[in-house]
Amino acid sequence: MFLNHFEYFAPKTPAETLELVACLGSKAKILAGGTDLMVVMKAKAISPDYLIDINGVEEFKGIFCEQGKGAVIGTNTKLAEIQFSEAIQAKYPALAYAAGEVGSSQVRQMASLGGNSCNASPAAETPTPLVAMDAKVVLSSILGERELPLEEFILGVRVLDLAEGEMLTKFVLPEPKLKSACRYAYMGRRDAMEIDCVNMAVTIELEDDGEKVKNIKLVMGSVYPRPLVSKEVTALLVGQKLSDQLIEKAAEAAQGEAKPIDDIRASAEYRREIVKVLARRLIKEAYTDAKGV
Amino acid sequence: MKKLIELDINDRIYEVAIDARDLLIDVIRNKVGLTGSKKGCGDGDCGACTVLIDGKPELSCIKLAIASQGKKITTIEGLVQEGGQLHPIQQAYVDHGAVQCGFCTPGMILSSKALLDRNPDPTEHYIKHELSGNICRCTGYKRIIEAVEAAAKVWSKEGVQ
Repeated sequence: MFLNHFEYFAPKTPAETLELVACLGSKAKILAGGTDLMVVMKAKAISPDYLIDINGVEEFKGIFCEQGKGAVIGTNTKLAEIQFSEAIQAKYPALAYAAGEVGSSQVRQMASLGGNSCNASPAAETPTPLVAMDAKVVLSSILGERELPLEEFILGVRVLDLAEGEMLTKFVLPEPKLKSACRYAYMGRRDAMEIDCVNMAVTIELEDDGEKVKNIKLVMGSVYPRPLVSKEVTALLVGQKLSDQLIEKAAEAAQGEAKPIDDIRASAEYRREIVKVLARRLIKEAYTDAKGV
Repeated sequence: MKKLIELDINDRIYEVAIDARDLLIDVIRNKVGLTGSKKGCGDGDCGACTVLIDGKPELSCIKLAIASQGKKITTIEGLVQEGGQLHPIQQAYVDHGAVQCGFCTPGMILSSKALLDRNPDPTEHYIKHELSGNICRCTGYKRIIEAVEAAAKVWSKEGVQ
């Protein structure tokens, strides 16, 4: 199958890239890993006039992790690099794990963290833990930069809060709080090369007593047009010491909030069941982790 | 419009006239004439088209040739040793009967090489996890995993590159 004809640009610096993005606007697509873009172009779902290949821009790659200062991850950092990064494994294990479960080793070698969010697929792996970690995205244009939470950047299926002339350039992750933990899990047909039917991440932060929940964020993927942050779980569990009954109640509340659809990968009914299973499991695991036992 | 580019494939520079939309797999097979790499699904799912780019496994059916300039590309033909000997990982596949029709084998072997280069002492789970992007429809995966485990022994002993 052939791709449409397009003009190819390979800028070397962020300034050149932003200049191109500004000039070419929506007629251009940014090529990072291409693992989603090439596939939809082959299917003729989209036929951009221009491709801007950002793989020659070093500034868009890399993980900058500083003790006590969170992390900054360039948009074109490959998922394999995140999977194998010792710094990310130590500080953000849920993200390293989620990145390592995307596609296959080849896909992870090509695909970028930015692409996984910008593709805005409800079933994407990495946005779920990133939202649970309160990650922010930096959007750049020739006019400047703005920063917003990832959960406000992804608006729906293939819909982003991205103005003409803007591109995602990096992710900013806050330093994990003391006495906190984030866990990620997914369910799909099999382990290899699947697309999740449900994925979920939970961050729990405990009070100084190490027992009561100070804050909890439960994020669901693949059950809503964008990563869905549960309001009810937070309302139910903040200030509480967790018990099995309370966790069960929270899991049922998450189940009520999820709005899954029937598709080739699973029925809505099955997805709702899995939301409860994963919520129960992840809240327990994150709670235990945060307590440090 | 055709453009003349240079591709470094198996330590040899090939000058090829390509169009921006040409995929790396088609250029490697049809213009360079190295037909070891296979085109299977064409969507990046099956792994038959796997080549190493700067030592890392990538899918040449969803990779633009024009975006592969200035990189070291290794195809299955590039694993051949001095005097035409098989590479230890190829030999392990032969010894363990890990090849049947052979269509998945070039990609499978290159993915195996990449995983052993990263981790010469892999667990069975690690092998399965890192080989999950290569699909075999004949032999099943048991013998393939055994072959990688056998090659790992040679790797750690001889430090194969």
